[in-house]
Amino acid sequence: MNSLVSYNWLKEYVDLKDVTPDDLAKQMSLCGPAVEKIIPRDVDFEKIVVGQITSIKPHPNADKLRLVTVDIGTRTIDLVCGGINLKEKQWVPVAQIGARVRWHGQGDLITMEAAEIRGVKSEGMICAADEIGLAEAFPHAEREILDLGIALPKMKLHAGTPLADVLELAGDVIMDIEVTSNRVDAFGMVGLAREASVILNKKLLWKEPSLEKILVTKSRGHEGTKSDPAHSPLTTHHSPSVTVHDNTLCPRYLAVRMTGVKNKPSPWWMKQRLLSAGIRPISALVDITNYVLLECAQPMHVFDETKMTKGSHGTEIHIRLAREGEKIKALDGKTYDLDDQSLVIADAERPVAVAGVMGGEDTGVDEATTDIVFEAATFDAVSVRRTARRLNLYSDSQLRFEKGLSTESVVPAMARAIELTRKLCGGTVVGPEADVRASEYKPLSFSIGIDEMNKLIGIPVKTTEIVSILKRLGFGVKKDAKKITAEVPWWRDKDIESGRDLVEEVARMVGYGALPPTLPFGLATRASDAIIAWEDKVRDLASASGYTELYGYSFVSKGMLEKAGFDASRALRIENPLTADLEYMRPSLLPSILDAIAKNSEREDGMHVFECANVYLHKDGTQGKEWKDLPNEFSECVVAIRSQETEEPWREAKGFVELLVDKLGVSDVRWARITSDSLWHPGRSIQAFVGDHLIATIGEIAPDVVETFGIKGRVGAAAIYLQQLVTMASPSKTYIPPSAFPASKRDLAIIVDRNTAYGNVMHAIRGIDALVQDIAWFDTYEGKGVPDGKKSLAIHLTFSSPEKTLTTEEVDAIMEKITLALKEKFEAEIR
Amino acid sequence: MLTDTLEALRTDLERAIGTVESLDALAEVETKFLGRKGELTNILRQLGELPVEERKAFGQRSNEIKVEAEAWIAAARERLERAVRSAIGETERVDVTEPGTHPTEGHLHIMTQTIREITQIFERIGFYRTRYPEIDWDWYAFESLNMPSDHPARDNWETFFMDAGESKLGKMVLTPHTSNAQGHELERKQFPIRMLNIAKCYRRQSDTTHAPMFHQFEGLYVDRDVNLTHLTGIVKYFVESFFGKTRTFRLRPHHFRFTEPSFEVDVSCGICNATGLTADGQKCRVCKRGWLEIGGCGMTHPNVLKSCNVDPDIYTGLAFGWGIERIAMMKDGINLADIRTLYENDLRFLKQF
Repeated sequence: MNSLVSYNWLKEYVDLKDVTPDDLAKQMSLCGPAVEKIIPRDVDFEKIVVGQITSIKPHPNADKLRLVTVDIGTRTIDLVCGGINLKEKQWVPVAQIGARVRWHGQGDLITMEAAEIRGVKSEGMICAADEIGLAEAFPHAEREILDLGIALPKMKLHAGTPLADVLELAGDVIMDIEVTSNRVDAFGMVGLAREASVILNKKLLWKEPSLEKILVTKSRGHEGTKSDPAHSPLTTHHSPSVTVHDNTLCPRYLAVRMTGVKNKPSPWWMKQRLLSAGIRPISALVDITNYVLLECAQPMHVFDETKMTKGSHGTEIHIRLAREGEKIKALDGKTYDLDDQSLVIADAERPVAVAGVMGGEDTGVDEATTDIVFEAATFDAVSVRRTARRLNLYSDSQLRFEKGLSTESVVPAMARAIELTRKLCGGTVVGPEADVRASEYKPLSFSIGIDEMNKLIGIPVKTTEIVSILKRLGFGVKKDAKKITAEVPWWRDKDIESGRDLVEEVARMVGYGALPPTLPFGLATRASDAIIAWEDKVRDLASASGYTELYGYSFVSKGMLEKAGFDASRALRIENPLTADLEYMRPSLLPSILDAIAKNSEREDGMHVFECANVYLHKDGTQGKEWKDLPNEFSECVVAIRSQETEEPWREAKGFVELLVDKLGVSDVRWARITSDSLWHPGRSIQAFVGDHLIATIGEIAPDVVETFGIKGRVGAAAIYLQQLVTMASPSKTYIPPSAFPASKRDLAIIVDRNTAYGNVMHAIRGIDALVQDIAWFDTYEGKGVPDGKKSLAIHLTFSSPEKTLTTEEVDAIMEKITLALKEKFEAEIR
Repeated sequence: MLTDTLEALRTDLERAIGTVESLDALAEVETKFLGRKGELTNILRQLGELPVEERKAFGQRSNEIKVEAEAWIAAARERLERAVRSAIGETERVDVTEPGTHPTEGHLHIMTQTIREITQIFERIGFYRTRYPEIDWDWYAFESLNMPSDHPARDNWETFFMDAGESKLGKMVLTPHTSNAQGHELERKQFPIRMLNIAKCYRRQSDTTHAPMFHQFEGLYVDRDVNLTHLTGIVKYFVESFFGKTRTFRLRPHHFRFTEPSFEVDVSCGICNATGLTADGQKCRVCKRGWLEIGGCGMTHPNVLKSCNVDPDIYTGLAFGWGIERIAMMKDGINLADIRTLYENDLRFLKQF
């Protein structure tokens, strides 16, 4: 998670004299939280100055516009303005020529130019708050301009002062810092300052406030009106009655009542700090809780006590699970249905906050609020996270709680909230604090051997340095000759879990740049898994053969499976798919490949594509909760050809398989026609086996399926079951020396029944004589000159002997044997 | 008389060959005089008209002429062929600026190409590739990696769970990282472990920078006395091998459950040369202040070793697991507006690699 941190604000907690934001960013990133961006705060205020209106006259050509003269210190300028709240002597922000403003608060920033508005020259503009990015800080009505006198009541204004100076933004930058989830302390200014102080070796200026001291200090009045406890409708001087019903989910709850407070807009210094972190100012009391959140990384909440339903003990606070049917209208204005797993804060009657997530609107503070209850509590991280997810309700508090907070951070946070309230809103604390906790706090403590630490770091670090680093980080350190024992400061409670964690604390401060890189050369202690190399071989062959490789998602939709004729109920289902498109683990690569072909088919004429990936299959037929074994993940390769030129793309698919089988050194492939698979063309598909093992299915995709996918033309494909095939592959080749004697070639043409398989004819010829060296099909013909129901097969035959040149008579004799055998087996007629 | 005819034929033939201008004409001459129905055959057919005693000499003479003629023809053919060849610059001229005929071109997916490059880099220093289940038990994906049962990654909005029963090893999940291989590999107890596991991973996230399926490569090196300098050594070696020696790296402390200490590795930006600013002084849009994140790494957490019954007092280890999509994009400066483009199988994209 990233934090936005104002550099000037951070400087309040750590001495950063002589440290530039760039230096800080560089060093922090190497040892702790990484500064990812640095954004100057004043760039958008360039050429915008404070001006005072000296005269207002009507515009000669427009009713709604005025001609305004403004004193901007060095001179006065004349401009045209349509603001409805213009007054003489009014302090206003003036955008001069060259300033950048957001026109009517919308669109991109636009650079101001001298303009003529309805015939009158205008040398700049008086800005509304939303035109200069200050709408959240100083909300005002539409068509009004920003009245700086009202916005900044305490400030002495001078014409001509750059607005950025008045706003105290000049020179400040916002650092966008990535804080890792374990360092919830560094989400706060104090924690970040502590990191910076150790990393840069600078003094930490923060002093943790003491609640005890603050509670005994009387209110010293406040900005604005004086506190007047007599006005309070509350007469009891007790602390609120707090009952924690589940102390696992709420290990600590601290509540303090205050009365006589006066709520109103916060002063600018607080507003601008909240804004720097991306938080919208609301009212002083709400802003104080957010300010403490940003400062101490401890979320707080403030209730308007008068709005809470009282019970027999007066103000009651129950930390309990919500009851079935309870609802809450949260501060975001939406109503949420609560369930019995959601922890809530309830008054005597109803939920008033979703614990750690968001307060309720009904008990929120407003301008009339005088009596309040501040909450600083610790809630279970997992419970907060899951509740937020279930309600789909997120907040800055929840983001911090779900990382896990220490029970000890509630005290300084409460102290700060009271301190700030007294300063800004007055009021007095009523009764002692209510502090309910599951158990006494005992600091964690871990040890690590000095040897072990040095061995792991790889270079020796002096024990004194180890001790010094840990101490500066807030650890209580004890050491003996062999080991170091460190007591964990409370703000690292959920982070430091063992002695091993101390190594990181030391190593990061020593600096990873100080470690000499050592490359651990060595011989592999075992071979890579064989399937990986085979897959690469197949990929190489496919791409060298002109196929383009696809990578599809491992999951497919039910619809896609069914389009390809697969039974989705037999595929592996994901319980929580992201969308229905990604619900089943694919049992074959073919559906996604057909989908890919369909997507490209408008643009591409011919397509040669392949994919090589795992498919996922049940080990047995079980489904759903009955299924308890890890499934099979089998490597598969599919090649597919979509061509509008050839009528028989299956030939290319089969050719690829034949080539592959040959390259893998697999022999004795047996082929068997398939006729009853809805995915495959019933007359143009075949399977390849070695022994009983199916190694590939090849053919044309059934025209029905092709049409369902919306593909035009025919698709040939081969699904090659690599997992099976490679077990039969042999990486080595046997060399057969070529015969020293010339071979004889003959052509053979026979007429056979059209259903006679060439494969069978070939096998018959092969078995006849060892001198038949090669049999090569070259044509099949049906039609004119061939009787109906018959076909003509044309075959090249090569004869060769390793021992001699074959005579014509010898070859003739073999041809004779062949024709006789073919006549007998297939009733073949020789042409 | 016949003898005169024969000698006249020889003369005619010599003249004809001497003046012939083309190979076609030469072939005609050859046929006319020496062909099966040519003039020489014609003369020989009249041999019977000669007295018997003259026949032998006449036969010899005609044979001499034939041999002689064949030599003339051969010489003429060579002369003519030479002439033809010397003219091919003109006669056979074509426009060679026209494009060639391409072999059918195939393409390997950029993921395959990147995976191969990574594999080669790590094989050179003795790492071997493994393959472990993508659909795995919770124990391998989380529990053995020191991720407690309430860790956010184990919630069902982060990780895909299978619609299946549980075993002693927990639920069945689609592994969200390649780190599930660590437990499987450690259980083999074959030290030193120098594993490189490259596989598909799955997370419940789909936006322009996240695809629900992606690839990682995971390294695990476990031996006696493995320390932080080995981690920096491997990171340096990989960054220099993969991105080139001009790029530098840095380790930033980070937090992961299965390593301690943990780091995020950044590599210097190749576009702005690690300055964070482009040549015209604008902020570099590719990186964060000059650095690009590669991914996480760290020293194997003792709890991970313990969970697989490996004694952390004897063995220490280091591990890293980085996204392949990310580093492929970083290396080639491929700026994909949407990372999911990689898995949309648009041939216009795939054919560029």
